[in-house]
Amino acid sequence: MLETTFLGMKLPNPVMVAAGPWNRDGKGLKESLEAGAGAVVTESIVSDTMLDVRPRISCDRLGAQNIRMYSDIQVEGWEREMDIAKSAGGVVIASVSGHTPSELAYLASKMERFGADAIELSVSNPAAESLEVVASHADILFDMTKEVVSAVSIPVMVKLSQNTTNISKVAKAVKAAGGSGVTAINTVRGILGVDLEKAEPSLSTYGGISGEYIRPLGLASVATIAQTTDIPICGVGGISSAENALEYMMLGASTVQVGTEVMIKGKESIRKIVQNLEIWAQNHNVKNLSEIRGKALDNLKAFDEMKFEPAVSHANGVPCKENCNLCVNACMYNAISRSGDSIRIDRSKCTGCGLCASICPAKKLKIDL
Amino acid sequence: MNIKQIAKAAGVSVATVSRVLNHPESVAPKTREKIQKIIDEEEYTPNWFAQGLNFKRTRTIGLVLPQNINSANMEVANAVEEVARQKGYITLICNIEKDPRREKEYINQLMTRKVDGLILLYSTLNEEYASWIEEENVPAVLIGETRARDNWDSVFVDCRAGAAEMTAHLIECGHRRIAMLCGKDPEPEAKAMLQGYKNVLKASGIKVDETLIYQVNNNIEGGYIGMKKMIGRLPKKPDAVFASSDEIAFGAMDALKEMKLRVPEDIAVAGFGNDRMSSLMEPKVTTVELPYRKMGIYGARMLFDQIEEKEAKKEPKAEKRRRARKIQLQTKMRVRKSCGHRERIGEMF
Repeated sequence: MLETTFLGMKLPNPVMVAAGPWNRDGKGLKESLEAGAGAVVTESIVSDTMLDVRPRISCDRLGAQNIRMYSDIQVEGWEREMDIAKSAGGVVIASVSGHTPSELAYLASKMERFGADAIELSVSNPAAESLEVVASHADILFDMTKEVVSAVSIPVMVKLSQNTTNISKVAKAVKAAGGSGVTAINTVRGILGVDLEKAEPSLSTYGGISGEYIRPLGLASVATIAQTTDIPICGVGGISSAENALEYMMLGASTVQVGTEVMIKGKESIRKIVQNLEIWAQNHNVKNLSEIRGKALDNLKAFDEMKFEPAVSHANGVPCKENCNLCVNACMYNAISRSGDSIRIDRSKCTGCGLCASICPAKKLKIDL
Repeated sequence: MNIKQIAKAAGVSVATVSRVLNHPESVAPKTREKIQKIIDEEEYTPNWFAQGLNFKRTRTIGLVLPQNINSANMEVANAVEEVARQKGYITLICNIEKDPRREKEYINQLMTRKVDGLILLYSTLNEEYASWIEEENVPAVLIGETRARDNWDSVFVDCRAGAAEMTAHLIECGHRRIAMLCGKDPEPEAKAMLQGYKNVLKASGIKVDETLIYQVNNNIEGGYIGMKKMIGRLPKKPDAVFASSDEIAFGAMDALKEMKLRVPEDIAVAGFGNDRMSSLMEPKVTTVELPYRKMGIYGARMLFDQIEEKEAKKEPKAEKRRRARKIQLQTKMRVRKSCGHRERIGEMF
């Protein structure tokens, strides 16, 4: 039911484990596959390993910030690691990172020789790079993708960044260069917070933000690519449940990747997501997940296409005993008031903005004509 | 003990001992362990010359450097050796003191010693000599841009872009009269840098003034002499000096100090290379990082790719040379204090 063909590769399910230290070597990759991942992506492999700064990860309730997480295993060592990773069966995608097309092409062809099933180009890591990540420039990305594609005969996907002005343009460049697919999105440049007593930012330099913080950005990026470019998409950013994975798929992703959730909760979280995905599909009578791919895009219109209707808020299910008064406090137009157990909406004041309906924990408010 | 005695002690043939040494996977684990134990106990190491004769390989590579007192060259050498060591090879390092004749001599010597491969850093070899190396069918890789050898595997850096970026930075710092102390070697890189410098000046509407461009020896002394001459001869001193190597920049800064000119208040100085010393000088030198380690690592990687391809083929001369692999690497700006740039943001991004 969950079987998916992605870039010509047969996956048992569409849930991949994203590039990161949890997939730092053959053993880690094998464990991710054994935990039920549909495919795994290696930690990004670079030309020359560097010492990692310490500390380099910080997290809070909603997500994490990391500084530069690249593989600490040299290219030569990946021959052995790839063997170990592949020993469990399953699809292993090599993430490679570099600054010039020829560098990336070399790394990619090595990984192909070592047995990688596909390549993911990591050219969008916001940490320790300049303000403009490579993936923000369509022309540079085109050259890079093209050279890698001509150097290998396995599929090449490119991990895109939300740190760009026009992600559609970048995705089109990948397609034009012969790339097989895109992964969207990488972490987003940010600072998690500041310790007020010490006057210290969460980490000592800017990093990449991941987790729940970036899911809305990831969803929008995937939807944009799906609506404008005919290229398979792997959605990533803040996925911690089957529902999150489905959101990405309904907006056009064929597969998804999970990273931060695996980092924080461990690899069993993969099994949970996959199982719940299966349960959801059963309950919704979905034979194959491709049936729901892009389904929500029909309801995602351009601003110009939207209807301007005089809809206003309606309270249903009154009396309201919630007593939270969230709607009353949130109404910017002073249209909502409470008297005892009843919620009153002044239809002459209501402008139909929708905030009350969205904020009501009991879903008692509705925007309607 | 020699190999015969080891064989006798283990009660196996010489061939079996040889297989344990060279293709351990082809020997039954039990036998292998028994023989290995004796080898370890006796601290036996195979005769290196005899192995070379038998397997037509010496597990040695030759690395030819333009000069070895230069720390940048040693960084490249260090990276080459690191990869070679992992592969079980030793590296013979030859210093040619920037003398093309000595380069040929050393290459001859290395070939006579039957090295399994050659890495040439900033080679000045001419067409004829390069063809001779090709005919000898020795795997070889070039590090640095080298004229005329399009069919060789090579790794090089886009120095034109690096120089252009630095020139643009100097202009952004408010400098207009920007001089260049351009090293005579390595020639292709120096030419590319000069081109990058001129292109940016032109694009910024600054006229290229040839009296501001000095060809100097690519070392500390060259920078020192060049700077003294320039200040002595020019009616009006330049706002900034862009040196084509950090060593030249160090020499220039030394000369300026002697002439009681302050860096960057009186004159800005920019280097190229990101030599280890550049961040220890006072003021810290703004420079362009060259990926020396990566140059060495890729040079060695490509060489071992060739060596392994050759071994896999067994029949070395049968096949034509495949298309050459070219790896281009990138420079990176290192904005520090020697050019008068005040914003920290420039240093970080």
